[in-house]
Amino acid sequence: MWENRCKIAVSGVGYSKVSRAADVPLAAHALEAVKGAIEDSGLEMSDIDGLSTYPELPATGHAEVDGISVVSVNCMMAMLKLPSLTWHMQVGNNNIGGAVQTAAAALLAGLCKHVVVWRAMHNPKGTYQNLPGAQAMGPAQFTGPYGFGGPGQHMAVAYTRYLERNNQSRDKMVTLALAQRKHTQHNPHAFFHGTPLSREDYFNSRMVAYPFCLFDCDIPVQGAVAIVMTTAERARDLKPKPAYLASYGQRLHFEVAGRIGSLANYMEGGASSAKLTWERSGFSPKDVDVAQIYDGFSASVIYGLESYGFCKEGEALDYIQDGRIELDGELPLNTFGGSLGTGRIHGLWHIIEGALQASGRAGSRQVKDANVSFVGASAPIVTGTTFIFTREPY
Amino acid sequence: MSDWSTVTRPIPVPTEWTKPFWDAAKRKSLELQRCQACGHFQHPPYATCTKCVSVDLKFEPVRGGGTIYAYTIMYHTGDKRFAPAVPYASIIVELDAAPGALLAGNLLGVPHTEAKVGRRVEVIFETLNDEITLPQFRLAALQPAE
Ligand SMILES: [Zn+2]
Repeated sequence: MWENRCKIAVSGVGYSKVSRAADVPLAAHALEAVKGAIEDSGLEMSDIDGLSTYPELPATGHAEVDGISVVSVNCMMAMLKLPSLTWHMQVGNNNIGGAVQTAAAALLAGLCKHVVVWRAMHNPKGTYQNLPGAQAMGPAQFTGPYGFGGPGQHMAVAYTRYLERNNQSRDKMVTLALAQRKHTQHNPHAFFHGTPLSREDYFNSRMVAYPFCLFDCDIPVQGAVAIVMTTAERARDLKPKPAYLASYGQRLHFEVAGRIGSLANYMEGGASSAKLTWERSGFSPKDVDVAQIYDGFSASVIYGLESYGFCKEGEALDYIQDGRIELDGELPLNTFGGSLGTGRIHGLWHIIEGALQASGRAGSRQVKDANVSFVGASAPIVTGTTFIFTREPY
Repeated sequence: MSDWSTVTRPIPVPTEWTKPFWDAAKRKSLELQRCQACGHFQHPPYATCTKCVSVDLKFEPVRGGGTIYAYTIMYHTGDKRFAPAVPYASIIVELDAAPGALLAGNLLGVPHTEAKVGRRVEVIFETLNDEITLPQFRLAALQPAE
């Protein structure tokens, strides 16, 4: 068991407006979310002494301009001019989950007292994922000429292998899409709040990259979310009920860049991260009351459920049926709507929901008696991180 | 069947580490990186052997027969250059001679609905320009019983 189990807590969450068009610079969204999280925690800006993010723009073929299409730690430092700042760190892999884990480590090391972590996502004009230009360079020289562009197509090939090797049907995924959209109606910050989805909508939607139809893919949006993290001891004196961080893990598996179609890349990535998380916390999948699993593409949830150990390999599309993932089901899943409901903000929103459920602050979507709250904060491939939040400090 | 006649593909830019692959393709031969220490074939090329971490790697010819390991059917027309071919099959092939090495390609010469995991394919070559020839795949005559 991890000696730092439940010694760190999430004590505030914040959101910007989420919109399709980038009508204000992304920095404005990030500021709105950061200020919201600090206000939620009951702290003052002058209390914040740590900053962390993962700023990457996942859209391919677009310029990265700080403050416009990404919001780096430097950008946030320049905007906030924090008088008490003692620590900041920007992570380059492990996605936003890495920024949260680094912040936890900094708090444990005593390098700072109250850290803000944000994730800001830009929706560029034009096509989100561009194929290489006239030339295909680097790893894309072996994929771009055949029409492979963004991560959706890379994930789609692994998904056909998954479906055909396991004798599964993509039709079963409609259950996930509908359940998450239903949950979205309890989340006023989500892009698809107020927009229901029907079975007919799912099956009549256009195919993007088979087996993914439109509703298997999160919609690109402009927006940001943020959290305040502190030590459990300090968190008890703050306004909201803390969500204790029982443990976390990161994927320990990586295959060569440009290697696509490998299902093992997802499964071993997820399994290695989850193993650390279960062992450090002392919990196992059967202890989990509510789960958030990253769903930039629907299949990520399936790989997550299996590689994290919630069900056997090849069975997740059956596991999600029969009400199991509803708010009153055996494993309420992506209770805030997931990225499929909120729009593409990456995994910090999954972490926020994991924390809100653990602290009993999830409003009309609150899972009754939720104590052990699991989060898979990004796709098990390449960037996988996992977390457990708890209501009790154990 | 997909009409590729008006599709303009992005042109691969070889590096000094990938050049032998493209030089071989130009000669209508498939050559993959092979570890001289343990005999392991790998693709895409990498700085070290992904099996034994040796840096002693050379490109060697392999036979172009294999199976469809995975595939997707592309419908998205965001990139207008590929729009005339939509829907088309982009496949990942595992060669018999190089287990674990995964090559991308398009499944040419048949409707996209013929792409299935496990189907037999063989390499063919598509000339893009004077410098670059692209390995591609077609269904093999002999298929496993389904
Ligand atoms: Zn070797």
